Amino acid sequence: MPPGGGRAPGRTVLGVGVSRVVVLGAGISGHTAAAFARSWLGRGDTVTVVSPRPDYNWVPSNIWVGVGLMKPAQVTIPLAPIYERAGIEFVLASAREIHPEGDPQDASPYITAESADGAITRVPYDFLINATGPALRFDKTEGLGPDGGHSLSVCLPQHAAQAAAALEEEVERMRKGEPRRFLVGVGHGTCTCEGAAFEYIVNLEFELRNRGVRDKAEITWITNEYELGDFGMGGMHLKRGGYITPSSIFNASLFAERGIDWITRAHVSRVEPDRVLYETLDGSEREQGFDFAMLLPPFSGVGLKAFDREGGEITERLFMPNEFMRVDANYTATAYEDWKASDWPRTYQSPDYGNIFAAGIAFAPPHAISVPRKSPNGTIIAPAPPRTGMPSAMIGKAVASSIVDMIGGAEAPTHTASMAEMGAACVASAGANPFTGTAASMTVFPIVPDFERYPEYGRDKDRTFGEIGLAGHWIKILLHHLFLYKARLRPGWRRIPE
Amino acid sequence: MESEHSSYATKPTRFTVFMRTFLPWQLWRFAAINLKMIGIIRRSHRGDSRK
Repeated sequence: MPPGGGRAPGRTVLGVGVSRVVVLGAGISGHTAAAFARSWLGRGDTVTVVSPRPDYNWVPSNIWVGVGLMKPAQVTIPLAPIYERAGIEFVLASAREIHPEGDPQDASPYITAESADGAITRVPYDFLINATGPALRFDKTEGLGPDGGHSLSVCLPQHAAQAAAALEEEVERMRKGEPRRFLVGVGHGTCTCEGAAFEYIVNLEFELRNRGVRDKAEITWITNEYELGDFGMGGMHLKRGGYITPSSIFNASLFAERGIDWITRAHVSRVEPDRVLYETLDGSEREQGFDFAMLLPPFSGVGLKAFDREGGEITERLFMPNEFMRVDANYTATAYEDWKASDWPRTYQSPDYGNIFAAGIAFAPPHAISVPRKSPNGTIIAPAPPRTGMPSAMIGKAVASSIVDMIGGAEAPTHTASMAEMGAACVASAGANPFTGTAASMTVFPIVPDFERYPEYGRDKDRTFGEIGLAGHWIKILLHHLFLYKARLRPGWRRIPE
Repeated sequence: MESEHSSYATKPTRFTVFMRTFLPWQLWRFAAINLKMIGIIRRSHRGDSRK
């Protein structure tokens, strides 16, 4: 069908369409890709989403669940009714295997998915979008995580609700006069998403002030960043007050103003019930006590396996060792000095199979953005590159667009969304209140620094800015409602940008 | 007590802190920041937008 053609049809039946687009994952990237593909494809084509979770989660607002300001139901929406209305097939199961060449009986490609009761479903596809997001690897650090470990998390709504309940207990203790120690940050040397942990610590501090117990709390930030404000993006430089100032200065100022202490360049190696053991870049082993710890885990891919037509495993052809999917990036191992913006993928197409794409966190980045560093013991202590939120959605949309054009006859992907060519707007909450709250509003352009185009700082100084204030909080609230409205695919949702 | 780190950090003046939640100023900043962000979003969508 011609690009940009027909509106969404009514209900579809699995596997009988002209073209079958299958999306693995219903997070920000997968949901965006499925919604746009359905909206652009014609009546006979089918779009199927395979996801292990029944709900869509607006992850940025999990922070507010984690401090008790929202309930999980306020940051999640059930997917089944949305997909039924939109004409998207929904398979509630975890994707397990990709068979890009089919099997000896049938050369049609398919994936297999396992539902909660162990049943295996075979889902055929003509085009596949892997948007499975990350696996939360709490297992990489002993004692990390809320399930059997000693720390909390805000990665999932139920994790955030657990954190809120634990925080409530701490507040009660402090009201009785007991001093408490809070530790927030990342639980491994290779973590990403420092921005989410940053939002949590400043919201936590704000809430403790609001509840009148701030004087009883000792709050510490622990991070794998070399300097504060790196956020896995190598930091950024902002034009402010007649200076070009690195984000580390602003981050340190924010913490100092709020009485938050910090530990940088740290790899948490073990979490015990009342303390973390960590190694720093200089090789020293230290510990930090806590009564309440919210530490994010490192990520990997979700562990999809791939097989050729004869059943031989080809996982290594499709995926990197970290289980993220290989796409059109330059994965040649080079020194940091030789990294280029052009190493980053543009179309997110698998180099081996032209009908497979990866979107959002599921694609394998060619390398980090921050400078890679190791301790004398060989421990990697450097943030992994973030690719959540706005870039995830934009990649999902670009991939859906390319697939629709390829179904219409294009021989190669027609749309791009390189993180080295796009900017990002980000609002980091620093306290939620309509009159006294604040948030840091930031834009960066591009996300991945391009030192060939912008030799001094890698980014456009006029398009990279940040400021903190109440306006940012209003924007954050607006985005919460706007993106949940968009995720519900309500009238006009396509007009809301990613 | 202030930590060793924090004594070396830049801190905002009372005026700066006041302006962060001063409604008339923040209404203006709300408009200005939204415009900046829309600019970034439009520029970033160049590769993925359908003709």
